[in-house]
Amino acid sequence: MTGFLALELRRSLRDVRYLIIAVAMPIGLYLLFTGLFGTHGQRAQGLPQPVELMVAMIAYGAMWAVFAATGPRIAHERAIGWDRQLRVTPLNPAAAVSGKLLTALAAALPAMALVAVTAVVSHHVQLSAAQWLAVLGIMWAGVLPLALLGLAIGYLAADDIAFPLTMALYFALGALGGLWIPLSTMPHAMQDLAQALPSNGVAELGWRIAGGQASVLRAVLVLAAWTLGGGLVALFAYRRRAIGSAH
Amino acid sequence: MRPGQGNAFKEGKAVASVRTGSIPAAQPAPGTAQQASEDQPAVWAAGLAKSYGPTVALAGLDLHVAAGETVALLGPNGAGKSTAIGLLLGLLTPGRGQVQVHGRPPSRAVAGGLVGAMLQDAGLMPGVRVGELLAMVRGLYSRPLPLDALAGIAGLGPLLGRRADRLSGGQAQRVRFAAAIAGDPLLLVLDEPTAAMDVQARRNFWEQIHAFAGRGRTVLFATHYLHEADDAADRVVVIAGGRKVADGTPAAIKANFGDQQVRFTLRHGSPALLAALGGVRAVDQDGARVTLHTSDPDATVSSLVRSDVRWSGLEVGGPDLETSFLRLLAGQS
Repeated sequence: MTGFLALELRRSLRDVRYLIIAVAMPIGLYLLFTGLFGTHGQRAQGLPQPVELMVAMIAYGAMWAVFAATGPRIAHERAIGWDRQLRVTPLNPAAAVSGKLLTALAAALPAMALVAVTAVVSHHVQLSAAQWLAVLGIMWAGVLPLALLGLAIGYLAADDIAFPLTMALYFALGALGGLWIPLSTMPHAMQDLAQALPSNGVAELGWRIAGGQASVLRAVLVLAAWTLGGGLVALFAYRRRAIGSAH
Repeated sequence: MRPGQGNAFKEGKAVASVRTGSIPAAQPAPGTAQQASEDQPAVWAAGLAKSYGPTVALAGLDLHVAAGETVALLGPNGAGKSTAIGLLLGLLTPGRGQVQVHGRPPSRAVAGGLVGAMLQDAGLMPGVRVGELLAMVRGLYSRPLPLDALAGIAGLGPLLGRRADRLSGGQAQRVRFAAAIAGDPLLLVLDEPTAAMDVQARRNFWEQIHAFAGRGRTVLFATHYLHEADDAADRVVVIAGGRKVADGTPAAIKANFGDQQVRFTLRHGSPALLAALGGVRAVDQDGARVTLHTSDPDATVSSLVRSDVRWSGLEVGGPDLETSFLRLLAGQS
């Protein structure tokens, strides 16, 4: 199991698609948005622009990192039969799936940390050590439902649609979840939708903690509901594939 | 069942277990769980059946493979070979019947590292090097083959630094074989293993299988090439239409099902004489070119020499399995 996990991790970090989209893109967008919107204004959360955008881009990068490590990759492994080969080794199926989940979560960390480093270096964002730990740690835990959604896609979708599907979900959750545009500038109906999305839940956790607000209950509940839902769909998808890949 | 190979102690135990008349239940016996597993039949299947909707893939297969045997599962495409293999690896659940691998349910035998398999449509982990991949697979087993030995056996040395998803078909096949034997499994299962190989690669591959089997390991492979079964197996189980239709040594199978062919151009003599030659079962004629289907080409050729028939361009060909299967299937329906 540890050998499997280690190799999955090594492979993730070598993945160019991961490096460009999960790491480089949120950093680029962060620099672009802070350049466009300026660094002195305040946004809906009452946070300075560089902090608010940093949190949004941490959520954005983390989201792609867990999606890239799950959906398209698992669908591809099913298509080429690596999944089957692994099933005739002693690796426990539950351990294989947990390994995927842990790899996805681990892949999110560098993407998140590098946005934070960019924010500190470029705009001198300052948080207390406890806030840094809390922002990164709690947002990281909040990514779990997204990783479960990625697993579900990986075990349900065919290889050729898994990547576009994951991409579409990534953009939709980013845009509709208020990671690109502040929620307050959206129509009310869209704000309500945004607040029910896991991408917004992850960012909300970060915004609240960075702003010193303790009321994270709504975000936690939203993410818990997505974790439960995503977990059930992933479990269903995995079991279906275990029975279905009969050929 | 053949007595277990190995030392006298092991054979004694094997005989004792036969006397009890059934697979012995788990009991405090000397030796490890691994040794206990070695004394069980490698594969035991009874009445194994599997359907996909209205399509019957396997219609009640009985299969016994003793530890140390090399057995070929021979049949035409669609005979049920891959289904049988899926069932005995625990990838499929039987509709009816039972299957055990070294006395355990298949999934537990796989989990216990007793089985290695090279599946027909299995791939390699993308994005990693061959050496990394094999090291990871070895790490899943408790007593793997040393990496050096593995690289030597499978001729993998030059491939270890290559990306596993950027190999040619033959190279990938070699890596898949190495992954299958990496854990030094008691039972090695191969589904149409030589499909992507050229002639030389096939020869090397079967040499490696012989080397592996020579260490007392059990090998079960599916093929639709009779000559492969003939060359590599101690015993051949022929399946067609989801059923076992023959089970025996390669020589016996060939005598029963795999007619050989004697071909020549007829220069002088009556075709009626040809049917009376030794061993001949059927005569095909295409102009002056004659094909004799025979169960005993030696007898056919010697009686041909003694006869009044004049011929040229004599050829003796291997068994024509396709024809045999067609006849077999026609005989069944």
